[in-house]
Amino acid sequence: MARYLIRRLNLFLATSLVLFLVMFIVTSKFPVEHTFALTGLQSPTSQELAQIESDYQLDSSQLHQFFAYLQQRLSGNLGISATSQNPVIDELTAVLPASFELGIVAGLIALVLGLPLGVLASLSKHKITQHTIMAITLTGYSIPVFWLGLSLSLWFGVQLGWLPISGQINLLYDIRPVSGFLLIDTLLSDSQYATSAFIDALLHIILPAVTLAVLPFTVVVRITRAAMIAIMEQTYIKAAEARGLHTSIIVLRHALPNAFIPVLKNLGLMLGAFASYAMVVEVIFSWPGVGAWLVSGIYQRDYTVIQGGILAVALIIIFLSILIEVIHTAMNPLSRKELYAAN
Amino acid sequence: MPLLDIRNLTIELDTPHGRVKALERVSLTLNPGEVHGLVGESGSGRTLLAKAILGIPGHNWTIQADRMMWDGQNLMDMSPSERRVLMGSEMAMIFQDPISSLDPAIAVGTQIIEAMPENKELPWWKRGSDKRKKAQQWLHKVGIKETQKIMSSYAWELSDGECQKVMIAIAVANQPRLLIADEPTNSMEVRTQAQIFRLLSKLNQLQNVSILLISHELETLSQWCDRLTVMYSGQVMESGVTSEVIANPYHPYTKALLDNIPDYSNPEHHKTMMQTLPGSAPALQHLPIGCRLGPRCPQAQKLCVNQPSLCHQKDRYFACHFPYHNEPCHEEPLTKS
Repeated sequence: MARYLIRRLNLFLATSLVLFLVMFIVTSKFPVEHTFALTGLQSPTSQELAQIESDYQLDSSQLHQFFAYLQQRLSGNLGISATSQNPVIDELTAVLPASFELGIVAGLIALVLGLPLGVLASLSKHKITQHTIMAITLTGYSIPVFWLGLSLSLWFGVQLGWLPISGQINLLYDIRPVSGFLLIDTLLSDSQYATSAFIDALLHIILPAVTLAVLPFTVVVRITRAAMIAIMEQTYIKAAEARGLHTSIIVLRHALPNAFIPVLKNLGLMLGAFASYAMVVEVIFSWPGVGAWLVSGIYQRDYTVIQGGILAVALIIIFLSILIEVIHTAMNPLSRKELYAAN
Repeated sequence: MPLLDIRNLTIELDTPHGRVKALERVSLTLNPGEVHGLVGESGSGRTLLAKAILGIPGHNWTIQADRMMWDGQNLMDMSPSERRVLMGSEMAMIFQDPISSLDPAIAVGTQIIEAMPENKELPWWKRGSDKRKKAQQWLHKVGIKETQKIMSSYAWELSDGECQKVMIAIAVANQPRLLIADEPTNSMEVRTQAQIFRLLSKLNQLQNVSILLISHELETLSQWCDRLTVMYSGQVMESGVTSEVIANPYHPYTKALLDNIPDYSNPEHHKTMMQTLPGSAPALQHLPIGCRLGPRCPQAQKLCVNQPSLCHQKDRYFACHFPYHNEPCHEEPLTKS
């Protein structure tokens, strides 16, 4: 197992290195002054220019330049934002938790609702129930997320006025960031309005999270159903029935752990699509996350912000997909069997 | 009173080729405490019969029977949940393929412990360790020495024989009255086979468990069983006390099976052709009408296009219009089927 983990870590490092290499090459191709693309300084003084040249070793060979670039980026120097003149790393740490909050809530909604519905769809004997669930999930799967987001905010936000449609929390509440996750921070806050702030934050997250959850939810339902149908015909399920176990115990202890394995694998594959959907959703609902920040950076030709955003998002996706693979291996003893055979 | 009494059980399968009668009017009587052998080729519907008795039908089965009595109760009238209760406590089954009968994602030990009966007299916090201890005892009883190692392994890490022993331990832990063993020694080496058969017969003698032993090897079955039922292509051919059936087969199919067993006693016969029936067992979608042995039977006549009903004579059952050593039953209608 240790050997396997080291190999996965190795994969993470190698992929990240390739990512940095691509970013390095792309940075030199931006249609602006190279120093501006690297640091975000619009008109550096001669002193600053000398500093930049020594930092990034602009006089040396390309290889040396790459290592200098790597050193700067890894030490947290992502340059400053050309529009706000703040360090990019500070802006990034400010927007990342909001994105994580949205992603986690959406993922939880998809899993918590999707798994039981998939199991129900597979166990249901009625053709009508099965077809209804399948039709609904297929519809959800094929709805474009930007249209869904706009329609939901139009119906529930504008016409019905039930839910707020933009931002993370009402600006009237002053919440001191502790973890960066507003849902947690509002609970930790000692202000007298902490509870109402929490409720407000909860109301704010409903629409974006639901919009983002629709796609993974439908995928989870469909895969869970397919896997459950296949597994319920297996001999070990029949054997468990022959042992006189109750159906609910069979489903919970024997069928579901086996059915969750392909679901997990597909979640890993879906991560990239999920991240790009999250960006669209953040823009639609003005969610102060990394997606909205990156898109506004692109509009403003803020090259340092673009680099920082792409680096952060790509690194997170690489890390999470490797993490999911490791969890998949840990949960699925059968894949460990292949592991032993492969080594 | 027989423990299990089945009359005219018919199982129809919905296949892409239409509905086929995989099992046609099968009757079986099993007395308490006996080892009953069920012999037949693969595809003759033995596993279907076993699953129908236990109550785990496939999704495309239609089951009909005149009666299916379990110890005085009619199984056909029971609800699935009542049958499920019966399965855990009174009937148990050992499946053909032991490795795939165990959940691959969970350690074997967890599954054994799950199947152990709960001791209701103990306080609830002691029941877990009690089950664990019982599981180890049962594993010992079925002949597994390294219980810790087996219990922490996954099914696919164990050999066929070990898995089969685990399955037997799970099956007998609730002390069932009927154990259905579906080819328990399929694809196993001879030594393990002997171990498992000895284990089963010990269970039968010590715990008085009735066993329905399914196999295709008439020789092995004749060694371990009190009574035999011979099936061919979904129909019961003959049934009776093992020694009588072997010594004096009434049905041409039973005789053919016995002739198939090679005879090494006479050196002159070594190079003669082995006795077999012409042709091969019919496919499920091309079943002959009437007696399904008809097209291959050396005794077949025009009458055989009607399915012969099962005759009961002196503790022997047979379904044949032209039996060896005997006269057919006279009460059977000659034309209707």
